[in-house]
Parts: sequence; structure tokens; C-alpha cells
Amino acid sequence: MPSGPIPILKLGSTLLATIHIDLHDTVVDSFQNDVLEEIERTGSDGLIIDISALETVDIYVARMLANTGKMAKLMGAETVIVGMRPAVAATLVRMGYLMEGINTALSLEEGLEFHTRRSKMSDGMGDA
Amino acid sequence: MDILKLDDEELKRRLAFFELTDEDFRRLTALKPFAERWTNEITEGLYELIMGQPESRAFFPDQATLARVKKLQNSYFLGLFSGSYDLNYVRDRLRVGTAHERIGMPPKLYLGAYRRYLALIHARLQDHFKGNDAEASKALATIRKIIFFDMAFAIDTYIAAYLETMTRHQAAIRELSTPVIKVHDRILLLPIVGTVDTQRAHQIMETVLVQIVEQQAKVMILDIAGVPVVDTKVADHILKTTAAVQLLGAQTILTGISASVARTVVQLGVEITRMHTRSKLSEGIELALSIVGKKITSKKESERGDA
Repeated sequence: MPSGPIPILKLGSTLLATIHIDLHDTVVDSFQNDVLEEIERTGSDGLIIDISALETVDIYVARMLANTGKMAKLMGAETVIVGMRPAVAATLVRMGYLMEGINTALSLEEGLEFHTRRSKMSDGMGDA
Repeated sequence: MDILKLDDEELKRRLAFFELTDEDFRRLTALKPFAERWTNEITEGLYELIMGQPESRAFFPDQATLARVKKLQNSYFLGLFSGSYDLNYVRDRLRVGTAHERIGMPPKLYLGAYRRYLALIHARLQDHFKGNDAEASKALATIRKIIFFDMAFAIDTYIAAYLETMTRHQAAIRELSTPVIKVHDRILLLPIVGTVDTQRAHQIMETVLVQIVEQQAKVMILDIAGVPVVDTKVADHILKTTAAVQLLGAQTILTGISASVARTVVQLGVEITRMHTRSKLSEGIELALSIVGKKITSKKESERGDA
């Protein structure tokens, strides 16, 4: 079970982590651990990180989020980051950090849709 | 008048720069009887100049106005010799500047009238200090200091007022320059017309991002048919906006790309293959519709409304 301050919920085969506090170094580490352990424990194939509560995201946090996505992918879970605020997106782009290779969605709903669509697609191709 | 950042410190700096010392203040206070004796005559002399020229006369259409401003002029003149030159004095002086600016009196008339003002004072000072030229010129030097001190405030007010107007206009133009249009459910369109500079590019990015989140739009169409020149800078701004839009979880479509723009963009080596591009807006709308899972089809013969 997650030991850090950020709750990780299971919705079907998707995990949902809502970041509601500022991410300090210590929180970041435990968050990454929690997410990966939960993926391992539940065998989820999707991860949604909701950052709509974050008013600022610096390069360090952005990189951590992207890295978490990469790590999850290694374990077979696709990550979608949802709810990024306009100011956060503008700042990251201005600083030249484009979070390449990371899926994003406007809202939690969209993020869930993304996973549903993806699992449908992989179901269809699963036999091939 | 926040723009002047007036406080006690600034007032001290100004007084120091105009070399207004306690000695000057004492001299001005001592000249109070002189001022009271001559203020009416000096004001009359001043308005003789003002009313003698059609351009300046136009600001005083009737006798009532003229009588009122003459009275104000008298109290202004006596204020010079009041002996207290604190923030209240300055505020009073700023009001004078604002009043002139509001009625549209150009600085040339204001400064020109001041020249006459000094001449009128000078003539009477020589009378006042009969024979004592040294004292007369000292008094004149002091009066000149305080008048220039005043004038600086008036000019500052003029500039501040102009700046304020300009800022207001710029804000209006900025608002006009980024009209986001809702084309369809979850599809937004931003036609960009005119030159895109850095400031405007920032404005565009901000509007685009905020609107996407507010309206939960899936697609933002940027139409650049109205942008005269697309150089590396403009292309870079568009690419950055696209990247930011992707971070939000939406997409951009760039439309209105003319043959010459396509040529320059490739010649400049700008990598815009990452984004959707279409030459015509209509094609962009079709693509946007397909992204949100819709399409435009023709009606069947039987469904047509025009009978």
C-alpha cells in the first residue's frame, strides 16, 4: 500500500494518482516508489497522474513526472498526465522542456477515455 | 500619479537636484508681501499673452472661465511663496499639470506662458529691490528654481498621462488581436492577423492555453493567412504554442499556409512536421472534426430544406 502522502487509487486496470501537494524531494522519491510498487502489486496497465492542483511545476518536478512515466512504461503501464494548467504549460515550454514522449489529456475524464480506447485497441490486436 | 513614485525620499532628491535650500525657502517666504502686491498684475500680464494668440485663446471660451482660471492663477502664484514645499505642495502642483493635460493644452503653450511669467516677475523684482541689483538677482534665481521645480512636475504629469493613454490603447489592441472563436464542440479557432512580435506571441500562447482549458477544447486551429511575414521567430512561437497545447492534452492545426510561407519555412529549416498543417482553413476544420470524431457530409436529396 502507498506509504507516501499522495494517494494512489485503482480504477479497473488503471491507477490514479492525484497530486494535491507541492512536490519536495522527499515526497517525489516516495511517490515514485509508491506508484511503481502499486503497478507491480496490481498489475495495472495504465497510470493517470492528475496535476490539476499544481499551480507551479518546475523543471525538476516535470522531469520526475516524465521519468515516472518512463519507468511505468518499462513495467507495462502507459502514463497520461492530466489537468496541466495553462500557466504551467507556458512556463515549461518557455524553459524549453517539452516532456517529449509523454501522453497528456485535458481532464481526468479524457485520461480515462485514453486508457479505455487503448485497452480496446490492444484487445483487438491481442491475438496477433 | 503613482507612476511618478512620489514619496518623501523622491521629494528630497528633487529639491536637492534643483538646488532648493533652506535659504531659498526663507527668501521665498520673505517675498510674500511682494507676491501679494503684484499677483493681480502678473496674472493680467500673463493672460494678455495667452489671449493675444488664437491658439491659446481657444482654451478660454468665455469670461466666466477666464475669471475662474485667473483666480486659480493668483492662488498658484501665491503658493510659490507659501513657505511650505512638502508633498501637499507637490500634489497641488500635479493637479495643475493634470488640469492642463485634461483640457488638451500642449506643453509648448504651457512652457511659453511660463517664459512670460518669469519676465513679468523679473521686471517687478527690479522695482521691488530698487537699486539693490545683487538682491534682485538672488531673488530671481530662487524664483527660477522653484518655477523649474514646478515645471518638472507639470511635464512629468503630461508624460504620465500620455503613457497611461498608450497603455490603455495597447491593452485594447491586445484584446482585439486574439479573438478565439468556437467553431464547433471542442474545436476553437484563432485567426492571427498582422505582425507577430514576441509580446504578441506570448499573449497568443496565453489566450490559447487558457481558452483550451476553459472550454475543454480538443483542437485549436491557428489560422495564419493574415500574417504577412512568417520568419524563424514567428515559426518558433507557433511551435512553442503547439508544444504547450500538447502538454495540456489538446492539439493544434496550423492553417492558412500560403505557397510563399511554405517555401520560406522549409528554406529556413524550421521543423514543423510535428504539427498538423493545412493550406486552407476549411481543410483544417475538416481535420479538426475528424479528430473529435465527426465529419461533414452532404444531405440526402430528401432532407434538403430549400424548396
